[in-house]
Amino acid sequence: MKDDFINHIKPLLPNVEYCSFRFVSKYTNIISATRGVIEPVVISEDDGLMVTVYDNGGCGYGATSNLTKDGILKAVKTAKKWAKFSENKLTYMPDLSLLKKQSGSYFTDDEENWSKISTKDKADYLMSVNKSLKSQPTISNWGASIRYNKLETLFIDTNDSHVRQKISYLLPQMIVSAEYKKEIQTRTYGGHAHARQIGYDFIDSINMVEHAKLLAEEAVELSRAPNCFDKITDAVIAPDQMILQIHESIGHPLELDRILGDERNYAGSSFVTPDMFGSYKYGSDMLNVTFNPTLETELATYNFDDDGTNASKEYLIKDGVLMRPIGGLFSSQRTGLDYVACSRACNWNRPPIDRMGNINLEPGDYSFDDIIQSVDEGILLETNNSWSIDDKRNKFQFGCEKGTLIKNGKLSGIVKNPSYRGVTESFWNNLSKVGNRDTNRILGTSNCGKGEPNQTIFVGHSTPVCLFNDIDVFGGV
Amino acid sequence: MKSYFQKISDYLFNSLGSNEILILNFDAEQTDFVRFNHAKIRQAGNVNQATLTLSLVYKRKSLNSIIRLSLDYEKDTVLLLRTLYYLRREIPELPQDPYLMYERNLNSFDIETNNQSLDSFIITNSILEGCHSLDMVGILSTGRIMKGFSNSLGQFNWHESQSFNFDWSMYTDTGKAIKQNYSDQIWNQNTFSSLLEECKQKLNVIDNQEQTIKPGEYRVYLSPSALNEIVDMLSWGGFSYKANKIGSSPLHFMMKGEKKFNKIVSFTEDLTNGISPKFHSDGFIKPDTTELIINGEYKSSLISPRSALEYSVNHNAAEYYESPVSINLKEGAIENNDILKTLKDGIYISNLWYLNFSDLNNGRVTGLTRFGCFKVSNGEYQGPINTMRFDETVYNIFGDKLIGLTNNKQLLIDSSTYEERSTHSSSIPGAIVEDFKMTL
Repeated sequence: MKDDFINHIKPLLPNVEYCSFRFVSKYTNIISATRGVIEPVVISEDDGLMVTVYDNGGCGYGATSNLTKDGILKAVKTAKKWAKFSENKLTYMPDLSLLKKQSGSYFTDDEENWSKISTKDKADYLMSVNKSLKSQPTISNWGASIRYNKLETLFIDTNDSHVRQKISYLLPQMIVSAEYKKEIQTRTYGGHAHARQIGYDFIDSINMVEHAKLLAEEAVELSRAPNCFDKITDAVIAPDQMILQIHESIGHPLELDRILGDERNYAGSSFVTPDMFGSYKYGSDMLNVTFNPTLETELATYNFDDDGTNASKEYLIKDGVLMRPIGGLFSSQRTGLDYVACSRACNWNRPPIDRMGNINLEPGDYSFDDIIQSVDEGILLETNNSWSIDDKRNKFQFGCEKGTLIKNGKLSGIVKNPSYRGVTESFWNNLSKVGNRDTNRILGTSNCGKGEPNQTIFVGHSTPVCLFNDIDVFGGV
Repeated sequence: MKSYFQKISDYLFNSLGSNEILILNFDAEQTDFVRFNHAKIRQAGNVNQATLTLSLVYKRKSLNSIIRLSLDYEKDTVLLLRTLYYLRREIPELPQDPYLMYERNLNSFDIETNNQSLDSFIITNSILEGCHSLDMVGILSTGRIMKGFSNSLGQFNWHESQSFNFDWSMYTDTGKAIKQNYSDQIWNQNTFSSLLEECKQKLNVIDNQEQTIKPGEYRVYLSPSALNEIVDMLSWGGFSYKANKIGSSPLHFMMKGEKKFNKIVSFTEDLTNGISPKFHSDGFIKPDTTELIINGEYKSSLISPRSALEYSVNHNAAEYYESPVSINLKEGAIENNDILKTLKDGIYISNLWYLNFSDLNNGRVTGLTRFGCFKVSNGEYQGPINTMRFDETVYNIFGDKLIGLTNNKQLLIDSSTYEERSTHSSSIPGAIVEDFKMTL
């Protein structure tokens, strides 16, 4: 994004109480190999601008991919028209005096090395991963892909703010299914949750070719494994399942726009109410959860949100007590609660709303072996494959790809179709051990859906292995 | 917009070299979005977007690029020519695609429905006035959707329509809610007013004492919206030829002939309502109807051209994701007025929410009740229920446990707006099912 573009658009900011221009340039490249064939390669380029106007008690936006002077002026006119129409008809009008000039930047440290590797080399690599996945005769489906996303944003406003950010991330994926007696069992690489702000070296470091062989063996083993038992038991939950548990039953219920009812027609509300912050015991004393946009390589690390608010690490839950919601500067004005820099939009054509960024469960003191050895009877649950939770983010049910039985402190045999269900309000109080930094994994998902109009956005979750007592675990039909 | 697409198509086709084939798909919308909360405007604005997907084919290889257009001809032609050069430079590096198939016959047509303009400001005012004393939350999407196809062999297709979709919920002070949707091509104030009136009446009933439901098996009525959520789950691979072959379909046992639905169940992909375009992204023309499940037995799948080549079968112009875009479930015999009488003792479920598979192999689905669900005793409403989780197989819901389907279907137009406004729809009756498992 060059200075001449900024010089070109800055004079177009209108003379209103407040206006911002949020320019987004999005590049996506997906290379996939499925069942031994390279699929059509996807390359996507998407540039556009959202104009937001606050004026005289009204607010409106105009979003356009026409970045000529005429196109931008037309978007300004549209935003002003909606601002005029919505005067005194808004759910709330923010206090614009709280908006201050912001300047700064953020760039993912990925050394721009995606483009240095040719499409052919990436395709060849994925074909070799495919060979490893199809390493057993009963494998019925297999595939691997790498997705690269680059998102550049420029934010300027009538307060003379000027924020530039460039976030790029990689999402490597593998899937392998094995068939036995007409039943299919599938293993994936981390439930598609390994998205990171990281360079292409990451692909080498995770050695997909070798990992693929292990996944294939596990899929075959699972296809011949017994169904999971049905009982209340101890559950050790691995990071690639914890990510969903945190996401659905901590991240979403703490989103302030849900608490304030904005999402009641679609994504749902929350069992959390504004009066609970500062006193409500969300979980056991071991539960510490942060909004952390500062963790290097995590998916939603940034310095500013899409309303230009400066980002910092904050505790959402401290020693089990609920501290603050995931609400941006504008939302926080509706309740008087503290804010975090979480007002985010998936692209130039959608307005910012309260979103998770990086929502992390902070590591504890226990090694993986300590945790397993402490369990007389239970199950280790790995890799999410099914998720469902009620509209207040309370009654949940999650399925995992793989369950490993624990007996007398030792891992002993795998089971298929393990699932568990519970209620958020009681579940986190059953957290009895939190793994140490060695068990911690930085993970992220690129497709969190929410909002009207709908938006999918990338969010990060860093989490260790955790032990929960008295969990309702069950198997398949 | 059609002439713009034609103009850039001609420009690009004139820039092709020998042995190159170019396939273009155009997607555009001009949409006003008004988001509401507490019967006031939460966010409002306009999105004007257009996208062109270029697929260059050369020596049985293909490479795609998706480009957001500015709709400024000078700017776009520079960008598109640069993209074409890039595709041309990269394509020799790629292996041949054994599953590459595109239409070689020419089937040009265009469909443009309703040129009457919709005024979002008038509609929004009408909504605000109608709901001013109520706790309404929802989204209004209004405007034009345009889809186009062209290829350098000479085919050109166009599908354009203008419509609105108002999807909303009304809440009581106690947090109970009724959900409604009004979507069409022309705003009819009388229709909207009667929907609002119906909503107000339901709100009075739903505000009664909550009836606590415990885990167990219940006789239930699933409204068309609720049943549509379960049909959506079937669409996650259930009707896909490829998903059935690789085993990721919830209906793979059914496709293999090992399981059946009740004989009254017949599913058809039916494009005759004209909401979705009839042309495929590689130029094939989709049939008006495709029989999927007839009289409880698996009849045929949706088969994309790629699957056709992979598995040596004929395709039926399904898109590559092989899911229905306009599914139709044949109506049954239960009169609408007899729903409560037929249900007798059980739960009237207006909406289901957040469904997912709890055992994909066996078609078992979990999810939750949401919006306007009631306990019914002896054919009478008793009051709203607490949110309940269900966990049940589609073989029970559409099989032995299915008591009947209503004789009225509801057209449900998808209000989804991820990336762009959806052109999907479904036509579904209600269903009465016994022994429906509630688990939490």
